[in-house]
Amino acid sequence: MSDPSSLSAAHPPEQGVLRRLVAKPEFGPLVLLVAMILVFTVINPTFLSLNNIGNALTFTVELGLIALAMTLLMTAGEFDLSVGSVFGFAPVVMWAFFNAGLMPLPAAFVVAMLIALAIGLFSGLFVTRLGIPSFLVTLGMLLVVRGTALWLTSGFPQRTWDAGEQWLAELLVGDFYVGGLRVYMSLIWFVILAVIFHQFLTRTRFGNWIQATGGNPGAARNRGVPIQRVKVILFMLSAAMAALAGIISSIRVSAANPNSGTGYELEVIAMVVIGGTVLTGGRGTIIGTVIGVLILRLMRNGIVLIGVPGLAYNIFIGAIILGMMALHAALERRHNAGT
Amino acid sequence: MSDHSPVETLVEMRHIEKSYGRVHALRDVNLTIRKGEIVGLLGDNGAGKSTLIKVLSGAVPYSSGEIRIKGRPVAMTSTNDAIAAGIETIYQDSALVPQLSIARNLFLGRELTTGRLGRLDLDRMNEVAAELLKRVGISKNIPPTTPIGSLSGGERQAVAIARAMYFDSDLIILDEPTNNLGVAETQGVLRFVREARDTGHSCIFIAHNIHHVFQVVDRMVVMRRGTVVADDLSPKTSSIQDVEDVITGDHIHV
Repeated sequence: MSDPSSLSAAHPPEQGVLRRLVAKPEFGPLVLLVAMILVFTVINPTFLSLNNIGNALTFTVELGLIALAMTLLMTAGEFDLSVGSVFGFAPVVMWAFFNAGLMPLPAAFVVAMLIALAIGLFSGLFVTRLGIPSFLVTLGMLLVVRGTALWLTSGFPQRTWDAGEQWLAELLVGDFYVGGLRVYMSLIWFVILAVIFHQFLTRTRFGNWIQATGGNPGAARNRGVPIQRVKVILFMLSAAMAALAGIISSIRVSAANPNSGTGYELEVIAMVVIGGTVLTGGRGTIIGTVIGVLILRLMRNGIVLIGVPGLAYNIFIGAIILGMMALHAALERRHNAGT
Repeated sequence: MSDHSPVETLVEMRHIEKSYGRVHALRDVNLTIRKGEIVGLLGDNGAGKSTLIKVLSGAVPYSSGEIRIKGRPVAMTSTNDAIAAGIETIYQDSALVPQLSIARNLFLGRELTTGRLGRLDLDRMNEVAAELLKRVGISKNIPPTTPIGSLSGGERQAVAIARAMYFDSDLIILDEPTNNLGVAETQGVLRFVREARDTGHSCIFIAHNIHHVFQVVDRMVVMRRGTVVADDLSPKTSSIQDVEDVITGDHIHV
């Protein structure tokens, strides 16, 4: 121990609580969410009414479920453009089997989920074994899956109005009242899954591997982390969540349209990156994604309430994405300034 | 136990060959690493150093030859085989994950869990990491929850070396550990390497800077064009000029 101090560069002792909070990737999105709620409420107080909140939350979860899985996948350094197609395809499969009298609804549900898992497995193997970027693989998958859904149905929606008496339908999208607030089961599922995913990503061994796989794949591999298996599992998870979301949606709106979910992949990716997850992998946050989901959802709802034409929605979303990316980039630069 | 593997021998590589297509990257390489020695591995770009290291750490498969660890033949087919055999490789850019904390990096791939569902025992991981940082002398104000990305280059090397020492690797391979480091940080890293040796670990030290190699190694191995051309140069008896001549092949024409 000739010179024990030689390796300790100047590290600030303990940063203040406030500074640590500001440095968190979820901080920017949280501020934006609060600001949005304030502005919308000031302009139109009905924004904060139970009825409106209830409505907004209902529609939130379907994309939110996909966003949760996409967060993990993006943290591992990949993303999935085929989720919108799977969202449309899975319910078509489920209802087609059920309506044809081939099997009861729960069995059709299982079959649809298994097909979704197979789609994810295929994408995952394509990306990991052949080393093709996930952008290209899942773009191909987007077209194949959507094309299959359209071809199987000749483009017509599948009947779903027998769903009413099914326990599975009740379990997925049934509703009940808490005080004056109408709560759908799908919201409960979203909350439960968000908590599980957060714990999974931050507190488990596999979560550690997800972050390492996206952060420095070479280092992860050298430590014996099975990075290919991690990615394949996450592709399967992403497809499964897209299928679940699509099935929930089909029951809620009583239609399994082979075209539904078109463009959802980009909205989901927007939710995830607005929340602070990095597109290139390594850093992901479920809390941020939940905030991102709320931002996009309340934005859609709010701008209509305050009288902005609904068609202008995309302008705001695009601006938020650009603004958030600029903010994250600035924070990142400041974070790395010392190294 | 056969008599060609005395107790002091840790690693024996015999007649290792490796081709990438028609390129012969390693030809009939023989290398022995003894217990508790620091071996400098030298050679010009393309001499085969990094291929040899990747073979020994299970990162690339070899075409033929034999690797024995402590006298026992080991089929080195994956990095897990190398880790299981007690070989820890610290690559320049792929040793650590910048986004993860010091503690999470230390235990990456060998996380401490509380048993059920792979739940991390973060408290114990942080505790052990803090203890370890203190032991290697970089604990000053660096909590184990600090992300690697905010450490300096020397601190990162120290964490990687500390990890190898903690998991009691018999052989620590350091790939360019002093690259891009300042003078004080370089000395710190060299100190860790000596400390690792003094606590019974063998090291292979690869560096372009021969001055750094001279300061720390017991023995130097030189590779040229895919094969070992010298394996017993001592920093005590050879000059830097001698070693450079062996690396470039100039000594042949003298």
